[in-house]
Amino acid sequence: MVTVTINGKLVRAKEGEMLLAVLRREKIDIPALCHHEAVEPYGACRLCMVEITRKEWDGWKNMVTSCLYPVADGLIIQTHTTDLIELRKTILDLYLARCPNTPEIQDLAAQYGVMQTSYEQVADPNDCILCGLCTRICDRMGFSAISAVNRGHGREIAPPLKNAPPDCVGCLACALNCPTNYIKYTDIGHTREIWGRKFELLRDAKTGQLTITKEFAEYLSKHRVIPQDYFDLNDESHRKETALSLGKIAIWSREVPQ
Amino acid sequence: MKIVSPKQLEQLAAEYKKTADRHKKMVIVCCGTGCLANGAQKIVDAFAECLSRRKVKDFTVEAVKKTGCHGFCEQGPLVVIEPQGTFYTKVKPKDIETIIEKSIENDEVIEKFLFTNPKDGRKIEKYPDVPFFSHQHRIALRNLGKIAPFDIREYIAVDGYKALAKVLTTMTPDQVIDEITKSELRGRGGGGFSAGKKWRTCRNVPSDVHYVICNGDEGDPGAFMDRSIMEGDPHSVLEGMMICAFAVGAKQGYIYVRDEYPLAVIHLQKAIADCEEHGLLGDKILGADFSFSIRIARGAGAFVCGESSALMRSVAGEVGEPRAKYIHSVIKGLYDQPTVLNNVETFVNVPVIINHGADWFRKIGVPKNSGTKVFSLVGKVRNTGLIEVAMGTTMREIIYDIGGGIIDGRPFKGVQTGGPSGGCLPESKLDLPVDFDSLTEAGSMMGSGGMIVMDDKTCMVDVARYFLQFLVSESCGKCVPCREGLYQLHKLTIKICEGNGTEVDIEKMEKLSQQIVVGSLCGLGKSGPNPLLSTIKYYRDEYLAHIRDKKCPAGVCRNLITYRVIPELCTGCLACITACAYHAITGQKKEPHVINQDLCEKCGACVAVCKHDAIEVS
Amino acid sequence: MTHNFDKLPEIFARHPQDPSSLIMVLQDIQREYRYLPCEALLQTAQVLDVKLSKVFSVATFYNAFSLNPKGEKVVRICVGTACHIRGSALIKEQIEHHLGIKAGQTTEDMKFSIEVVACVGACAMAPVVIVNDKYHGGVSVGNATRLVKD
Repeated sequence: MVTVTINGKLVRAKEGEMLLAVLRREKIDIPALCHHEAVEPYGACRLCMVEITRKEWDGWKNMVTSCLYPVADGLIIQTHTTDLIELRKTILDLYLARCPNTPEIQDLAAQYGVMQTSYEQVADPNDCILCGLCTRICDRMGFSAISAVNRGHGREIAPPLKNAPPDCVGCLACALNCPTNYIKYTDIGHTREIWGRKFELLRDAKTGQLTITKEFAEYLSKHRVIPQDYFDLNDESHRKETALSLGKIAIWSREVPQ
Repeated sequence: MKIVSPKQLEQLAAEYKKTADRHKKMVIVCCGTGCLANGAQKIVDAFAECLSRRKVKDFTVEAVKKTGCHGFCEQGPLVVIEPQGTFYTKVKPKDIETIIEKSIENDEVIEKFLFTNPKDGRKIEKYPDVPFFSHQHRIALRNLGKIAPFDIREYIAVDGYKALAKVLTTMTPDQVIDEITKSELRGRGGGGFSAGKKWRTCRNVPSDVHYVICNGDEGDPGAFMDRSIMEGDPHSVLEGMMICAFAVGAKQGYIYVRDEYPLAVIHLQKAIADCEEHGLLGDKILGADFSFSIRIARGAGAFVCGESSALMRSVAGEVGEPRAKYIHSVIKGLYDQPTVLNNVETFVNVPVIINHGADWFRKIGVPKNSGTKVFSLVGKVRNTGLIEVAMGTTMREIIYDIGGGIIDGRPFKGVQTGGPSGGCLPESKLDLPVDFDSLTEAGSMMGSGGMIVMDDKTCMVDVARYFLQFLVSESCGKCVPCREGLYQLHKLTIKICEGNGTEVDIEKMEKLSQQIVVGSLCGLGKSGPNPLLSTIKYYRDEYLAHIRDKKCPAGVCRNLITYRVIPELCTGCLACITACAYHAITGQKKEPHVINQDLCEKCGACVAVCKHDAIEVS
Repeated sequence: MTHNFDKLPEIFARHPQDPSSLIMVLQDIQREYRYLPCEALLQTAQVLDVKLSKVFSVATFYNAFSLNPKGEKVVRICVGTACHIRGSALIKEQIEHHLGIKAGQTTEDMKFSIEVVACVGACAMAPVVIVNDKYHGGVSVGNATRLVKD
C-alpha cells in the first residue's frame, strides 16, 4: 500500500494501481471518454490528465493521463487546477468541432462551459468520437473484427476493406459499449445486422425467445468451455451474471462489477 | 572466411591497407543519391568504356572507385583524382576521355572542372582546400567519399572493427558504458539525451532479452544525413551497434530504415551479409563470448515512426501509434523488453570514441555539447549539401563560410532547424552557436540536423502553414490535441494565407498551441506548434501584413499577389503565352502581352520562361 | 482487375511467417502488383496469422501502400521542406493540371499516377521529381511537364 496526496487530502492506494482508479474510488469527477475497465487504458482523449509533483521535484510539475500513470508513494496530485480546466475545455471544444450534434459530447462540454465549438466544424459530422473502445473491446473479446483505419484526421472505425467483417460474430460488445451509441445494429425477426453483416439469432428451446447469434454461440462453445445450458438461459441479467462468474467473458455494458 | 580473432583482424587490416594503396593513381566517383541522380553511374560506365579501348600505363578500371556521398551535392557529379586530391565538379560522361588523357596519363589539371570560390573568383585545385570542406570536422562522415561502401575490406583497411576488437578483448560492458558516458555523447537524432545514460539504464534492467535498434527513419523533410551515412559507410553503423549490444547485453539488433531509402537498405543488407560471412555477426564474434545479429526493418512511409514507441510497434509489424512514455522504452520497449534506440549518427560516433578516447571527443565542441554534428544545408543557400562541424560553430559560419551565402546574393531571412518539430531563427540569431542547448533556448531545436535556409522570397506564414500541413498528414490520429488541434491550427493558417485572417486568429492560434503542447501524447504533437510559434515570435509583422494589409511581402501567397507583365520590358516573344496552362495571357507577336487576372492561377510558369524579367509579382 | 496470385507463396516464403513480417510482406506485394489487391490481403492475414482487420489497419496507415492500382508511370513529387522552399507546390500543380488528376489519383488510361512524397533525401537537388525509379533534380515550373509526356 502507498500513500498519495490528492487535492491536499492523504489517500491510501495499492502500489502499481493506475491513478484514475484511485480518483474514481475517491469519487473525484474526472472525464475519461476513452476509458473502460474491461480493456487496457489507451490515453487518447487526454481528458483525464492531472497535475503531479513530488516534494523532491522542488516545484517542477508534470501533466499526465491518470488512466496510464501508476501510483507511487509520495505522489502529490491536483485534479482541477485552472490549467487543467483550460485544457479540458480546449479538448471538448475540439471534440465539438468533430461531433457538434452528439448529445454526450454536448453535455460534457456544457459542464465545462463550452456551448459550441470555436473552431471550424467538419463537413458531414457523425457521432464517432474515435475513442477506440469498440476496437479494443472487440480485440479483448477475441474477434478483432473491426479496427481503426486510415491515419490522422481521416481516421475512422471500419470493418476490413469496408466490407462485411469476416471475423465478427454479432456479439454486440462494440455497440453496447459505444459511449455515443454511434454503432447501429438491428434485430429483425431471426436476423441481426451489424457492420453490414447479417447473423442468425438462436431461439431458446424453452421460452422461444431469441438469444445470441449462431456464430457467437459456436465461438463460445468451441473456445470458452461454456456449459451447454448457458445457451438455454433467456434472462439477460442472469446470463450476464453467469458469464461474469465464469470469468471468461468481458463485461458487456458500462456497469462496473461490484 | 571467418575472422576468428582480433589478431587475425589486425593482420587482414594491414593486408587490405596495402591492397588499397597499390594503385599509383585512383579516381573516386561520388555515387551518393544526389550525384547518381545527376548521372554518376554514366560517368563510371564512361570510365569503364574508355579504359577498355585505351591502355593507360599504371591505371586500370579497378582504380576507379565508387564511393558514398561527399556532401557537396550542388557541384555534382564529382570526380576526385588521388593521391593529388584534384577535385573536379559538374563532370559529364563526355568529359571522361579528356580527364583520362590529361589527368591520368599525365599530371595536368583541367581548369574548367575546378571549383570556383564565389568569394574571390579563384579556382581551387585540391578538395581539402575548398572552403566547403576545409571548414568541416568530419568524424561521423570520416569515410564518406573515401571508401567503397559495399566492400568490407575497404572498411577494415581504415581501422574498421578495430574498436569492436578493443572492446571485446580489453573492456567490460560497464567500462564501455563509462567511456561513452564520459564522452558526453548526446543523441544525434534530436533528443540530445545522454547516450551513456541510456545504455546504462537499459543494461540495468534485469532481463534475458535486450534489444538494440538503430533509428534510420530520418523523417524530417530536408534532412539526408543518415541516408548518406547508411549508403556511404554502412559498416560504421554496424560497428556502433555491435559495441552497444556488447555494452547492454543484447543479442538481437534492428536497423529501421525509411521506406524512401531503397539504396540504403541494399547497402546495409550487403554489409550485414558480409559481416555474417566474416564472422563479425553471429556467434562467438572474433572468438569472444559475444553473439549478435542484425535485421533490417523497413519503414513504410510514416513520419510518426521516427518516434521511439511508434518505431518499435512498426518493427513488430503494427501501425505506428505511439504510447504514453511514463515507462520508458529503454525499460520496456520492443516486445516489452529493455531496448536502446539510438540514431544512425549517434552509433557512427561510437567506434571513434572507443578508438580515440572520451577525452579526445570531449575536446571537440563546447561544454555539455561534445563532438560534431552533421547537417544537411539546403534551401536558398549557394553550396547545398552535407556538412559536419564541431558543436558550437555559429550559424553565420555555417551559412556564409561553408554555405557560400544566399543564392543570387539575396537577403537572408531565416533558417529553419529541427524539421517540423523545430523553429525558424531570424538574422538576429545568426551568431548563435549551433548546439543542443542554445537552439532550444532560442525557441527552435537541433533536431536531426536539417538546416533550411530562407531568403526574402520565402513567406514565413506559408512556411508555418506548410509544416502544419505536413504534421496533419503525418499525425497518427490517436490523441485529440494533435489530431484535432493541429488540424484546426492548419485551417487557421490557410485562412491567413488567403487573406481572410483576423488579429484575433493569431491569439487563438497561440492559445490553442499551448494546449496542444501540454496535452499531446507524443513528441509529434507536443512539438508540432513550434514552427508556428517561432514564426509568430520572430516574424509577427509578416502575419500582420497578411491580416491588416492583405499583402504577402515575400510574394508567395496566391490570393495576395498579382502577376503583371511590365509593358516596357516585354518583347512580345510569346514564350509566356505558350507556357501558360490556363490560357490567361493574351497578346500578339512583338506586342506587349497582358495577363488576365481572372484566369491567372499564379503558378509561376510565365516567370520561369520569361527571359526578359518582364513579369512582376507584387 | 485480374491477377496472377501465384507469386504470393514465394513472397511469403521470403520472410518469417509471423506477425512481425506484416509490413515487409505488404511492401513486397505492393512492389509486385503496384498496389495491394484484396485477395493478397486475405492471404496475408491467413499466412502470417494476423487478423484481417489488423492487416487492413496497417495497409491504410502507411503511405507506402495503395489499395488502388497505380499507373504505369508513378510520378512522385517531393514536397519536403527544401523542395517546398524551391517551389515544389507550383510544380505539383503544373503536373496535376497537365494530367488532369490530383495527387493520389491515376489517369483513366492507367498511364500515370501522381503521388507526393514527404522527403526522399536528395535535398541538395531540390525540387525533386521521381518517375518510377528515376530521380530528376532541379525541376522547374518550366520543364516539369516534360517529365510526364508520353
